[in-house]
Order: sequence, then C-alpha cells, then structure tokens
Amino acid sequence: MRYMLLHAVEESRLADLPPQVETELEAWVEEMVGRGIELDGARLHTQADATTVRVRDGNAEVTDGPFAETKEQVAGYDVLECEDLDTAIAVASAHPTLHVGAIEVRPFDEGMPAPEVPETVADGKRRYLMLVCADMRRAMAEQGAAGSAVTEPTSDQEDTTEIDAWCDSVADRRIYGWPLALPDQAVTVRRIDGKVVTTDGPFAETKEQVAGYDLLECHDLDEALAAARTHPVAAHGVIEVRPVFV
Amino acid sequence: MTVLVNPSSQPRDTVALSFERSWGRLVAGLIGWCGDWDLAEECAAEAFAEAVPAWERAGVPDAPLAWLTTVARNRARDRLRRRTTEGTKLALAFADATEEAPLGDDDIPDERLRLIFACCHPALPMAARVALTLRTLCGLTAADIARAFLVTEPAMDKRLVRARAKIKHAGIPYRVPTPELWAERVEGVLAVLYLMFNEGYAASSGEALLRVDVSGEAIRLTRSLAELLPAETEVRALLALMLLTDARRPARVRDGRVVPLGEQDRSLWDLDLVTEGARLLGAGGDGPDDSWGAYAVQARIALCHDVAARPEDTDWHSIAELYARLPATPVVELNRAVAVSMAHGPASALPLVEALAHDLAGYYLHAATLADLHARLGRVAEAVDDLGVAIELAPTGAERRLLRERRAALLGLTES
Repeated sequence: MRYMLLHAVEESRLADLPPQVETELEAWVEEMVGRGIELDGARLHTQADATTVRVRDGNAEVTDGPFAETKEQVAGYDVLECEDLDTAIAVASAHPTLHVGAIEVRPFDEGMPAPEVPETVADGKRRYLMLVCADMRRAMAEQGAAGSAVTEPTSDQEDTTEIDAWCDSVADRRIYGWPLALPDQAVTVRRIDGKVVTTDGPFAETKEQVAGYDLLECHDLDEALAAARTHPVAAHGVIEVRPVFV
Repeated sequence: MTVLVNPSSQPRDTVALSFERSWGRLVAGLIGWCGDWDLAEECAAEAFAEAVPAWERAGVPDAPLAWLTTVARNRARDRLRRRTTEGTKLALAFADATEEAPLGDDDIPDERLRLIFACCHPALPMAARVALTLRTLCGLTAADIARAFLVTEPAMDKRLVRARAKIKHAGIPYRVPTPELWAERVEGVLAVLYLMFNEGYAASSGEALLRVDVSGEAIRLTRSLAELLPAETEVRALLALMLLTDARRPARVRDGRVVPLGEQDRSLWDLDLVTEGARLLGAGGDGPDDSWGAYAVQARIALCHDVAARPEDTDWHSIAELYARLPATPVVELNRAVAVSMAHGPASALPLVEALAHDLAGYYLHAATLADLHARLGRVAEAVDDLGVAIELAPTGAERRLLRERRAALLGLTES
C-alpha cells in the first residue's frame, strides 16, 4: 500500500524544535529509505510563500496564502510504501515533526505507480507542490450511500479523462502526482504529553480538503500557476501552489 | 536627462531631481543584473549617497544614471565578495558575467516594466504590492510608507521583507508577462496604482503634513506606465481619472474638514490638470464607446464634475448614463441613483435606492441617500428617520457630525 504523510505544523512553534531535530530527521530519512519505505518527500517553504488559484465563472483568481486558514499548515510531505496502515502510523510516529505538530496519514487511491523524482532540479528551474483541494463531503456522502469503502463516486469516470488531458497538457513541467483516498480514511498522529495519539480523520476540519497533489518543476511561479489554473478541480475547488525546498 | 548636465546647477538639488527620475530605473536595472532585490536596493541607496559629495566636488556627470549604475554595481560586487555562501558566489558569477557598465544613459534599457509587474504580482498580498511598489519603484523608505499607511516602521519593514522573501522563494518572475496573461496582469497593476492613489487621496484629509504624497507617487508611476505602454488605453484612462480627481484636491479640505463636492470652492480647482485629463481621454470628439473600460468611464464622470463651473451646471444626464456603463455593483447603482435624482428628480430615483435596501443594509450612504431623496420629496419625517439610521452606521466622527447637522436642519424646518 502507498500512503501520503502530510506534515502539519503551527509555524510559530518551529522555534521550539529541539537542536537535535536535523540529526533526527536525517536518521529517519536514512532508515526509511533503507527499508524501502520512503519513496519521495520534501519540505515546503513557509505558508506565506503559498499562492492559491481558483477559477470561478471562467476567471482565474490568484491569491496570496494557503488554501485554508488553519492553525496548523502543511509544511512537508512524504510518500511511503508500507504493508499496512499500522506500519505507516508507526513510521509517522517516529518522525520529528511530532515535536511541533501533527502528521496526517492518508492512503493513495489505488494504482499509483512508484514516483520517479530526479534527485537534482533541472538548471534554472524550481519545484512546486500543487495541493489539489476540494470539498469532499459530497463524494464522502455518495460513498457512504454506496455502502462500500472502495466504490468510487460515479462522477469520477468523467473526471479521469479530464485529469488525463490535463496531465498531458502539463507534461513538460509535471513530475508526477496522484489522487488521495477520501479524507474520512485519514488518520492523524500527534504526540500529546509525551504519548503518541492517533485520531480518526484529517489534521484539520476544513471545508476543502487535500484530494491529491502534483509535483511540478517550472522556471517560475507563473508557469506553476498556469498549470494550476487549467487543472479540472480549479473550477470548483482550490489549488495551492507551494515552493518546495530542494 | 540632459537637464542634469549643467554643472553650475546645485548638486544637492540635482541629486534629488535625479533620485526622483532615476531611482526606479536604477533599481530595475540592478535587479536584472544581479537577481537580488535587497542587494539592488541597498546599493542603489549607497550610489545616491555617494552622488551628493561626488557631484558637489566634480560637478554633475553627463550621464547620471550610468554614473549611478556603475557605482551601485561596484558596491554590489564588493558586498558579494565579502559574503561566502554558495548562492552569492553564483550571484557574483552571474553579475560579473554580464556586460560592463554602460557609458551613456541612453544605453541603459528601461527595465521598470519588469519591475512593476513583479511588484504587483497577484501572488503577493495587496498591501505588500503597494508597499513594494512604493519602495522599489518610487524609492520611498519603509519609514515613509509606514507613516503613509499608519503602521509602525517595524511592521512595514516586515511586510517588505516578507514580500521580497516570497519573490525569491516562490519564484515570482522578473519579466513582462506572456501574452495570455497580459490583460489580466495589466489590470492587476492598474488596480494597485489606483488603490495607491485612493489611499493617498483619502489620507490627505488628516495629518496630511506628516505624510508623504502617495497620490503624487501613484500619478508619477501611472504617467511612466502610460509612456511605457502607449497602446494600453486603460492606462491612459487611469492617469486621466487620477488627474481629474486630483484637480479638486485643493478644495477638498477646509479647516481640517472634508468638503462635499457640491460645496467646494471651484475656483481652487486645478484647471491645468483638468485640461490634461480631458486631453488624455480624447474627450469632446467621440461619443460613448463600448470599448471604454471602467477607468475610462469613471474618468469621464470625473470630467463631467470638473467642467461644471457651478454645481447646478453639472451634466447629470451624462453622469447617470456613464454609471450605467460600469459593472452594476450595489455601490455603483447607488451612485447612478443619485445622478438620476439630479437629472430626473428624486421621485424617479427613489425606487432605485429602495431596491438596494437589502444589498446595502448597513451602509450609511444608502440611508443618507434615502434621507436626501425623502427630504427633497417633502417627506421630512421619513428623512429624519433615515438620518438616524445613517448616523448609527457612519464610520467616523466627521461623517456623523455632518449627518447630525443635516438632521438638525431638517428638524428646524419642521418646527418652523
């Protein structure tokens, strides 16, 4: 199974990180890569460097800031290959993010190929993470009505062709991406009073939830925003574009 | 720049004049040269500081911008060599690899367009766009801008630092937008300039003496933009709108109080600005045109007011017609209703204003307009009630005072 870890931290608490955190982080990455668990991952620039794109009535609205004004903000991600959810939770529980925040563990939709991310960024380019966010309540309700956790909403059939067309159109700048399972399948891991606590659901209850992501490599922000505004979800949801540390 | 050649002119004044004319171009060129906004601004400031004694000693150079560029680049190289990180080594290599400093001012390409599109990028918060534009293109200090927008200097510094950090981290491009983004980005730049103008204009009623002239900077920048983008009619229209509004500035405040348009001393209006604004619109010849953008329409409304020698000479028919050409937001509709009441009488305007009751509930000018229409229709009791609502909703003491005076006048009328 493949899982996404979304690291959610309160940025004001980053100053509280213990000095050994870099060593801890390196050790975690080394271990998880060595065990074949960590497939991809990166830290993101601060939420103040985020830009969101919405398309309403055919007009693109570009705004400063993240997709939702939550106390905790996505600060990084990892893509894991684990046998099951318990392993993914254990891997997340060992991550130093828990000093200052939470980690949301979310399965990917089925069929995700192994990401192939070049180690170095092409000359003159930079990387961006596109968080594709949408109001998933309807999809979750439909799924509940269907009575099965794996039945996909019927509207997905059309969406898939649209998404495929979008992927083709941005093939020059898109490294990879994949949709996530619905937010009700998320588990959030925190450390409270020294104890790791897991709770059901995503790290924040927002109207729009992360539904998938794409990793882009572009010359500049305008190229990334141009890709975001043509994404099918931009017409009803919101796309957050966040520069990635490389 | 030929004005600056005369060595007998006073160097200090010449530096000041040169600052006004060259700061934006100098910084724009330096950013293009080294890719580092902070470095470009620091070194531009140092070059101007050096110009004062140097020009006093040796006279003003023939090509002041080239002189400033050379000095600033040397300062930038010094600083980059003193730093040791990888990033700055790259910047130094980049900066050294590019061509030698130009000899004449005419050899220096005007890169301000790239700079203004970057400063006004929609990924930046609006307040940061305004601050960054004033700092980077107009050369205002963070302290100046902080005073103009009534925030503390550290808060303004932080805003500027954050904006530059985002440009760097998020990769906001330093170039003129591609054709498919052109219209939208030009519109974005104009929105920043108009906001800057309006903020400066509104501020000019208060502690004006302490403030820098933000409206003046907005006009200067829009003027430059109109020269850089001669094909963009909306840029010219925005410049016209600013000039036609600014023309009334001398009459706008009396004894520290804002004077309503109808009560202003029109002999104080600046007719040169009115003439220039009208010329920019090409007004007079052509009739209404569907190609007019929102700024062109608003500028023509301002012109209708400016050319009326007395309030009663105002061409309210045209104004009402012009308002109908703007996107029909509730506030535009309210303004249109006022024009209709002046052109066709209060009875025709009343239903228009009443229809806005839901959309503009809580907006004091809606209640104040209703009061005005009711009073003109002789429905004094209703007018008094409307004014009560307006007084409750008015945002500042000055406005409340004006409304109370109006109510007292109405009550005086009923008592008599």
